[in-house]
Amino acid sequence: MIAVTRRRPELGLLFWVAALGITGSVAVAAAEVAGFRPQQLVVPATFVVIAFALHVFLAARGVRGDQLLLPIAAALTALGLVLVQRLASNLLVQQLSWTLIAAGAFAATILIPKDLTALSRFKWTWALLGVLLLISPLLPVIGREVNGARIWLGVGTVTFEPWEAVKILLVIFFAAYLEEFREVLAQTQRRFGPIPVPPVPYLVPIVAMWAIAMVVMVFERDLGATLLFLGIFLAMLYLATGEVFYTLIGLLLLLVGGFVAYHVFGHVAARVDIWLHPFADDVRFDTGYQLVQGLFALANGGLFGAGLGNGMPDRIPVVWSDFVFDAFAEEVGFAGAIALLSLYLLFVYRGMLIALRAPTPFLQLLAAGLSFIVALQTLVIVGGNSRLIPLTGITLPFVAYGGSSLVTNWMLVALLIRVSDMTARVRGTP
Amino acid sequence: MEITFAVLLWAVRIGFLVLLYLFLLRAFGVLHRALAAERVSDNAVRALGTLIVERSAGHSPRVGERFSLRASTSIGRDAGNDVPLTDEAASARHAVLELRDGEWWIEDLGSTNGTLVNGTRIEHAERLRFGDELAIGRIALRLEKGAG
Amino acid sequence: MTRSIAANIRGLTLAIAMTFLVTSVGVGYWTLVAGDELGSDPFNPRLVAAIRDRPRGFIKDSAGNTLAESVQTPDGYKRVYRDKTLAHVTGYASFQFGASGIEAAYAESLVGQDPGDPLSQWRARYLRERAPPGSIVLGIDPKVQKAAVDALGGRRGAIVAIDPRNGAILASVSWPQYDASLISDPATEDATWKQVNADPDKPLINRVTQGLYPPGSTFKIVTGAAALESGVDPNAKVRVDDPWQADKSWGSYFVRSSSRAHGDYTMADGYRLSENIYFAKIGLQIGGPKLAEYAQRFGIGSSTRCDITGAKGQLSRTGVLDRPTLVADTSYGQGELLVSPLQMALVAAAVGMGGVMPTPHYATEVRDAEGHAIRVIAPGPIGQVIRPETARTLTTMLVGAVEGPGAFAFAAKIAGVHVAGKTGSAENPSGAPHGWFVGFAPAESPTVAVAILLENSPRGGEDAAPLGGRVMQAALGK
Repeated sequence: MIAVTRRRPELGLLFWVAALGITGSVAVAAAEVAGFRPQQLVVPATFVVIAFALHVFLAARGVRGDQLLLPIAAALTALGLVLVQRLASNLLVQQLSWTLIAAGAFAATILIPKDLTALSRFKWTWALLGVLLLISPLLPVIGREVNGARIWLGVGTVTFEPWEAVKILLVIFFAAYLEEFREVLAQTQRRFGPIPVPPVPYLVPIVAMWAIAMVVMVFERDLGATLLFLGIFLAMLYLATGEVFYTLIGLLLLLVGGFVAYHVFGHVAARVDIWLHPFADDVRFDTGYQLVQGLFALANGGLFGAGLGNGMPDRIPVVWSDFVFDAFAEEVGFAGAIALLSLYLLFVYRGMLIALRAPTPFLQLLAAGLSFIVALQTLVIVGGNSRLIPLTGITLPFVAYGGSSLVTNWMLVALLIRVSDMTARVRGTP
Repeated sequence: MEITFAVLLWAVRIGFLVLLYLFLLRAFGVLHRALAAERVSDNAVRALGTLIVERSAGHSPRVGERFSLRASTSIGRDAGNDVPLTDEAASARHAVLELRDGEWWIEDLGSTNGTLVNGTRIEHAERLRFGDELAIGRIALRLEKGAG
Repeated sequence: MTRSIAANIRGLTLAIAMTFLVTSVGVGYWTLVAGDELGSDPFNPRLVAAIRDRPRGFIKDSAGNTLAESVQTPDGYKRVYRDKTLAHVTGYASFQFGASGIEAAYAESLVGQDPGDPLSQWRARYLRERAPPGSIVLGIDPKVQKAAVDALGGRRGAIVAIDPRNGAILASVSWPQYDASLISDPATEDATWKQVNADPDKPLINRVTQGLYPPGSTFKIVTGAAALESGVDPNAKVRVDDPWQADKSWGSYFVRSSSRAHGDYTMADGYRLSENIYFAKIGLQIGGPKLAEYAQRFGIGSSTRCDITGAKGQLSRTGVLDRPTLVADTSYGQGELLVSPLQMALVAAAVGMGGVMPTPHYATEVRDAEGHAIRVIAPGPIGQVIRPETARTLTTMLVGAVEGPGAFAFAAKIAGVHVAGKTGSAENPSGAPHGWFVGFAPAESPTVAVAILLENSPRGGEDAAPLGGRVMQAALGK
């Protein structure tokens, strides 16, 4: 029944990923004081096996279409493992286990649901689930507060960041909702000057979304989640309607909200002050210590870096989850950092092309929204790490240490591959 | 000995950076080739096909009206369908016309009064060829090659 | 007609690509452009890291006494400082709080990667090998330093003595002190850091280079130089009547004479009796732009080029002198002027050296582990800031300000040597006036120039002048 596909380009790229992961791991291990030990190769070797297994799985299932996303995601995950080995080797086995779980989640998403349109049919279920997950950290008992942000769920020692799952649910919901109402939202007869005024019933969910974002900011004290939430929402609205004014109004609301928050909430003001004056004497040893250390790491990078294992990024607090980008840039320099950014851009570009050719508006919006998540997260955290914007707690996709993020990002890849597969089936391309 | 190790270490470090760029280059190559292939299919999809109204019960749709087809085109009484039909015999979501591997397939979505292809009521998804006639209630549509 | 989703996807992709480009430029800035500045930042742990792992080099004074050295403890090395009075000069080297002073300025040399030796820098960066640490020799002369410390006697203030011929700093005291050894010791660094930062007297500030004060009458040296070079005849009599205002538009504002003077003054009289009204009048005569030009020539308002970075100071809050009352006030050293003691010592040095201002420097030599000089630190002069004949005329008048009849700065006199100098009492918002003395000796061919600053000293310049005499005397070996 299922025709096996040959995925030659993907296989070829995975050999490069394997070489990259093993070389990086060897470089880090050899630079350690204890010297190189062969058993340290177990981790990259296991990862290589996982990556090839996923390839074989896709080929055996007869999945058609894109062959680029899996290798890029695998390369980024490999870089992540190299960096965890470099920066927090005690967490390496844990991160490898998460990679295994992420691979399982990837495979499961390829198989379930059987029909992708099921996602659009149950949109209100996803919305409800998303909102519940979003506010769940506020609940007593299971909600956890880490570094002042209340965005974690915890049972025993296992913690999970529900926000990571919410972002995908959000994109699915928006894609389904907007596919249904995009015509109404865009073809509004009433205009207030140049500003389109959509009919009230359709405006309500939009305003509700904004309100929820603000609630997240106020009660969970997480600037990153708020930014991501609003960013996804505005981008999807623009994708569906093409109305730049919605985006502008959204940005305006964001600025107003941000301005109010700056004056009302200490945690927002603190973030902004760190961003504006990280080197001020009362900031650099206190709240701005992390950012300043990150900038020192970047500055030590130069063009080609200090060499893997040869820099001093370990002086940055929590470097493995918040500042992996700076650590990477210190050791492989501007050249390496640009290569990393190019990988992300390539991933996003590929995702957007999948969206462009997807056969239905729902699939188009879904693929574009998912690609946008990766783009926004990368830009927000790299921008924060290099002091272009205030720092937020968003993680660098695939690379930063963290289980929930890795698992959901691999599910995101699986969804994109499925959209591409459907397109290929419709078009009769391989 | 010490110097040899340092040189080796640096060879590995530089090798890592080189591999990173080689991978990037290869990935660009793969994307480039995939794009070229997809662009060819773009042209095929652009000339998907057209439904022409042969017979009609009322003013909507009019006889001779043409509907350009999308890769997945929904047909039914609801105004939200890609091809809306004003006929009591049509169900709200009646049938769907889909491109699969470059071929057109019609599938009845469990409608009350059924879908006929060249006069025969269909049970499963059925392959449509250009020139075939599709009948739903009192409305008949013909599949033609090319965009409307 | 709704725009197609495809068109929107293209638009969004373009926006994302542009943002990636901007972000790349940002990353490029930090990795490629900011590298030099942040790489030598005293708080960058990459320079301080070696503190615990390996010994840093010595810091020594000009007589060879050790001022700073690394001692071994069970947890690794820590820095110990032998002369507490030089805490602001040596600075500290803390694992947590970075480094300051010489420890920061010559951090690379002290960990064995002197910039004068590119190979050692390369080996340190790429092979993690470092040459044995070098040591830094300072120009500090222990005799002069001791005289300066004794003269200051625990009062809040600063004393700096400089060799005007080459810019080497012979003595540098800033009070209150802090204990650099405590900040550099992992066991005590946290508590000490908190304590010195909470101290309202701000002991961490090196008042010699970083302290900013109104210069008071010592600034009249600059006003006089500007006037002489603008063609003002120093022998012309100028009428002084206390209190004075140029015209009625000044309203209730008057320039006051400290001696409630009435009479005709030459420039020499103006210096000897430190007459504010005389300098206010000639300041207004030459005008604000001219005065601003000469302040700038003497380095006021720009960072002092010293190996321990100095404060800029300011001519006025806006950087220009655009109101007659501001010109008048600036002419005798008040207004909105702010200068550091080091800047005033350089003004004195430049006058003493016939108008050539030296580049000040604390360190004189970097040595390798064997004690051989890697490089000698001898920066050339900053430049000729006034004409030699102007400097000669000023010197004569400044000798008069110390040795002439009724001279304010008489207490700076040294037997057997001519001393040139000027006192100042700077009014300030924090209480009693700051006492100033700047001067140099021997007047004909100086070997030492000094600046003394006493914060909130009851009798202002009169308190400062004898201190200048004692420090210069120590430097002259008399």
